[in-house]
Amino acid sequence: MEEIRVNFIVNGKSINLSADPTRTLLSVLRDELELKGAKEACGQGDCGACVVVMNDKAVNSCLVLVGQIDGAEIITVEGLAKQGSFHKLQDHFIEKWAFQCGYCTPGMLMSAYALLLNNPNPTEEEIRASIAGNLCRCTGYNMIVEAIEAFANETAQN
Amino acid sequence: MNKKTTYIAPTSLDEALKILNNNMGETKVIAGGTDLIPRMRSGMATPKRLLDIRKLSLSSIKLQGDFICIGAGATHTAIMESELLSVYCPILRKVAYKIAGPPIRNRGTVGGNLVNASPAADLAPPLLINDAEVVLSSFRAERVVPLVDFFTGPGETVITHKEILTEIRIPVSTETAATCFIKLGKRNAMTISVVHSAVRFSLDSKGKIASSRIALGSVAPTPVRAVKAEEALEGELPGMELFQNVSALASEEVSPISDNRASAGYRLEMVYVLTKRSLLTAFSDYKKVI
Repeated sequence: MEEIRVNFIVNGKSINLSADPTRTLLSVLRDELELKGAKEACGQGDCGACVVVMNDKAVNSCLVLVGQIDGAEIITVEGLAKQGSFHKLQDHFIEKWAFQCGYCTPGMLMSAYALLLNNPNPTEEEIRASIAGNLCRCTGYNMIVEAIEAFANETAQN
Repeated sequence: MNKKTTYIAPTSLDEALKILNNNMGETKVIAGGTDLIPRMRSGMATPKRLLDIRKLSLSSIKLQGDFICIGAGATHTAIMESELLSVYCPILRKVAYKIAGPPIRNRGTVGGNLVNASPAADLAPPLLINDAEVVLSSFRAERVVPLVDFFTGPGETVITHKEILTEIRIPVSTETAATCFIKLGKRNAMTISVVHSAVRFSLDSKGKIASSRIALGSVAPTPVRAVKAEEALEGELPGMELFQNVSALASEEVSPISDNRASAGYRLEMVYVLTKRSLLTAFSDYKKVI
């Protein structure tokens, strides 16, 4: 397979690499960049475990090809924490017990992060809609919704 | 993923169409990839080459003359958020919101939804009731096909290997119409329709139905219009009895199959229920506005 060279940004860092254009963004993140936060579960865009933020929008990284990421700005769950401190959204996930096994958490966080980028004061319905593409089989979703809501409320107050 | 698949992303439509001009089926057009990539990964699709149309600037939504022109590359999110569509075709925005979940809507496109030709394509019924047309571009040529003539079977359309669906055109309507779309799925999000229905009708000065459209999905080899049911509405005063009779006619015009989502019998029953409910809801919403 003929590789192509692509330039893109991941968590603020410029990346330049050569790869098979039909490889998925998820496989590049995990296997080339050693960012293991985004997970592959269904590999078909149904579960949301691989969600990252690409150009300010939540996307399934298992459904984005290397050929489609040239020039893109990508944020993964690893990009949320700064200087060793969790992002406030992550703190609220911990406080509200918004995960149990944790497998869906990176995707949940990134779907929520994408929502809050575009809509800092979401309604509960908008929060629920924002994570409609993410499956969680442990929590029943309510704690996740509460965590996102708590973060939005705190941000609104400050 | 098939290791032999090569990839090309031309930056002009002309260049893309030139490449496709020699295509015998080995090159597959890709946009959002939300349907094609899973099919490639499971081995159901094995294209030798992918031609990515995302760099062709096919994603604008604009008013042009008597048409709303939607670029085939417009994502479901772009449709949901379009101010222009909120004025001229609000039902399309509502339907786009019912598709999958945000990550899929951020990538999947209206053109892909139509070209994949799933009998359950959510955007087909709202476009059918608005008499939409699709623009099929090929090297140095272009043809416009009414959407109602576009689908030929499950996964099949009139599009050739040399063509790209570049635009969807919806005639701007000057009349106030009653419209409604109902999607029945197994849950509220991330679900393929079990049955969905879209209706649209206008009333004359005497309150009788002047023109009408009924489109149904997931109940035939293609998204379909219930033409006999439409005819039965025209010239009549809207009301429960009429809607019941018309919905019974609609269920005679479909040929659902049983699959892992529902049985044929259930779907047939739901065509009656959803058509009736769509007509009633469209009429009661219309009365609130008028």
